[in-house]
Amino acid sequence: MSAASVESAPLLSVRNLKVHLRVGEAIVRAVDGIDLSIEQGESIGIVGESGSGKSTLARAILKLLPNVELAACEGEVNFRGLDLAGISDPALRDLRRHHGFAMIFQDPLGYLNPTKRVGAQVAEAIGGKSFGSIGDRVQQLLAEAGLPSPAQIARRFPHELSGGMRQRVMISIALASEPALLFADEPTTALDATLQLQVLETLRRLHRDRQMAMAIISHDLGVVAELCNRVYVMRDGKVLESGDTVEVFESPKHPYAAQLIELSTRHRRHAAPVGSKAVP
Amino acid sequence: MLRFILFRLLHAIPLLIAVIFVVLLMLQLIPGDPVQAMVGDFPVSPEFRAAITKQYHLDASFPVRVYSYFVNLLHGDFGYSYQFQRPVLDLIVETAPRTILLTSVGFLIAIPVGVLIGIISGTTRNKRVDHFWTSLALVAYGIPIFWLGQLLVLVLAVHLGWFPTQGMGPLVSHAHGFAWLRERAHYLALPALAFAVHEGTRFARIMRASVADTLGQGYIITARAKGLTRWAIIRKHVLRNSCLPLISVAGYVLGSALGGAVLLETVFTWPGLGLLLVQAVRMRDNMTVVGIAIFAALAVIVINLVVDLLYAAIDPRIRGSS
Amino acid sequence: MSGAAAIEPAAAEERPLARAWRSVRTTAAKIARTRHGAAGCVILLTLALVAAFAPLIAPYAPLQAAQASLAPPSLGNLFGTDSTGRDIFSLVVYGTRTSLAIGLGAAVGALVLGGAVGMLAGYFRGAVESVLMRVVELFQTLPVIVLVLFTVALFGSSFWLLLVAVILAIWPAEARLVYGQYIRLRGMAFVAAAKVADLSTVHIMLREILPSAIQPVIVQVALDASVAILIEAGLGFLGLSDPNMVSWGQILHVAQDYMTVAWWTSLFPGAAICIAVVGLNLFADGLNEVVDPRMRGRLAGLQP
Repeated sequence: MSAASVESAPLLSVRNLKVHLRVGEAIVRAVDGIDLSIEQGESIGIVGESGSGKSTLARAILKLLPNVELAACEGEVNFRGLDLAGISDPALRDLRRHHGFAMIFQDPLGYLNPTKRVGAQVAEAIGGKSFGSIGDRVQQLLAEAGLPSPAQIARRFPHELSGGMRQRVMISIALASEPALLFADEPTTALDATLQLQVLETLRRLHRDRQMAMAIISHDLGVVAELCNRVYVMRDGKVLESGDTVEVFESPKHPYAAQLIELSTRHRRHAAPVGSKAVP
Repeated sequence: MLRFILFRLLHAIPLLIAVIFVVLLMLQLIPGDPVQAMVGDFPVSPEFRAAITKQYHLDASFPVRVYSYFVNLLHGDFGYSYQFQRPVLDLIVETAPRTILLTSVGFLIAIPVGVLIGIISGTTRNKRVDHFWTSLALVAYGIPIFWLGQLLVLVLAVHLGWFPTQGMGPLVSHAHGFAWLRERAHYLALPALAFAVHEGTRFARIMRASVADTLGQGYIITARAKGLTRWAIIRKHVLRNSCLPLISVAGYVLGSALGGAVLLETVFTWPGLGLLLVQAVRMRDNMTVVGIAIFAALAVIVINLVVDLLYAAIDPRIRGSS
Repeated sequence: MSGAAAIEPAAAEERPLARAWRSVRTTAAKIARTRHGAAGCVILLTLALVAAFAPLIAPYAPLQAAQASLAPPSLGNLFGTDSTGRDIFSLVVYGTRTSLAIGLGAAVGALVLGGAVGMLAGYFRGAVESVLMRVVELFQTLPVIVLVLFTVALFGSSFWLLLVAVILAIWPAEARLVYGQYIRLRGMAFVAAAKVADLSTVHIMLREILPSAIQPVIVQVALDASVAILIEAGLGFLGLSDPNMVSWGQILHVAQDYMTVAWWTSLFPGAAICIAVVGLNLFADGLNEVVDPRMRGRLAGLQP
């Protein structure tokens, strides 16, 4: 593959992705024919109410869905020219360990191992074999995610940290492989308002400083308006509308998108004004 | 951590006292002659009766008797077995190490094998490997431990002649060092194997459920997203977290080992605490029965204490909340 | 208004009962649909039929010793005969009654005793809780078989004493389970609603909470029954069971000395115990699958 083709192609392109999940006895079309692309260093948002398939979409792209839940998965997912559908296990692990993609999750308490110190959990995510300096690297990552006194934090257990600190630990873990693309699934939903703002600021800084592409998944349009250039509006496993964030939010074409935006702005006027300045 | 240990110890002592109290209370409830209840089916002369009555305060009220038994216990006196014509403590000290040897060897075989099968089963859920081990464990679990012992004797000892059918070997052995060990191991093999198979199924079952449960946790997805290999995920995340239920089951197995030993030692005529208990029950040697019951309770309390400490050592959340 | 008020208490009384009954019916149907549960049901039903119609199935009276002793299995004596010339097939058939009676009796006894204690401790908390749970702990301090042997040694071994001994040994597990359920459920909204509606405490404990707590408890009942059968078999094997009853363990006790020359004296009663215990465990597995969705077949395996 030539260097030119890598540069012209998007970082991630998804074509006609369909994911069917088993829920009890039934089979649900969680993702139903989605096209999506992310350019190098770009930041996109995926919005929709809960149950619209946003999380499933992200996990399907990153191949993190449990096989047992997965009834069927078809379509084309292309990351940096690599076909992820047929990728081998070692190649997939390599992408996750070195400069590929990473993900942070909504509920950091459940997604951190309760019996391991957070420093160790960050350390195992670090690619490469620089054993001597892993401790320094861990602290550096924790500091980069905005944690004060990283040396002390590294020796704590997850249950000893606050929700905001846990989410920052999650971010450090994701940053450890220096990913080209970061998926953030509801990164601030479990946090209270002031913490939300801080974590969003951290994500914005990382996006800018590292030239890291980001996909923010959220039901909170304010978060997406704050961080993303482009946005996809999802419902029932389909993309209803996509395009420039400001354009979509200012003049939505699809009635459902209009309704969602209308509800969100009205809610926002009454609730804490997190990132409200960007919402028209 | 030290506070945690002290807290558990303070909890254990009244429990032990309560157990002794209940055991003695039950001894009081035996219908009939208290002297006879004490010495078992044994002809009693009037002089002997008077001596016993005086020694154990049998004519005094219940609290006085409990108190005197307590005082004796504190002096290391578990009473006297008139059937064996020896102090009960002597009997326990002689037989208990044999039972501990039998059960701990069985336990040390059962733990790694059970855990390994449990992990294989739990990580390959509902594949053929899992079905095989699950079915095997289920059937093995249903086999009564004494019948399993009998089957092993029938096949491995009687038909194949690989092992002796019973006993613990010559009481006075002239072999030394490795030869001595081999001689003992020869006799120990079958009862320990029966114990290991029976309890190993428990470990496999709990480990399978626990591994499957751990695999459904969010931090396993995080570990996958980090790009760890399957083996690294098992080693770094699954094992430690799946071990908590295993530890309580292991504690239960050790605590109830005397129950299995009663049956196994009868099958193999292994002269341990279990066989002693059965003989004492048959001869209505109640002092020995009571002594063994209290000893067993003490063992269970100590084991539970160790289990609690292990729990706290593995799960940091418990350490904090004592 | 008065009409509505008159209807409401009746509806409130009917609803939980109906809910419990519906739950039992649908649960039974679901168990039969799981692989393990179906196998367990078949085994348990067969054993129940054998126990019920023992006199019709067994060719000989249980203690009738009219055969040649230690005869190998043949058409006349399907499982052979034992050292005193009794037909082992008939003994095993009649032994089913003893084992099922002990299993069922002890499990129900443990359910009632453990259930009551767990319910009270979990619902009232405070002093009631501390005292009752210390008692539970006390009983768990003696190993099950030691506790049973202790009781039998002191008081003898008639069927009823044996049953009491086994119940005393296994009830703590049930108590702990029910206790946990009540602690979990007592804080829920429907309990608070019932309290606001001024329903009696007994009503709340039995009619409101119990239906929601019952399913894992039934799993434990099935497991308790298998433990009770194993305990009775063990006692029988030691020769300490009720000497006036035919039981699988006792057949094995008699067989002990002849096992090497007459394998059939040991094989069939032992297999019977195994089948009963496996049947109960399969049933419990099936029930567990129905109750706890996480156990439902499709669980996460390991993948990259």
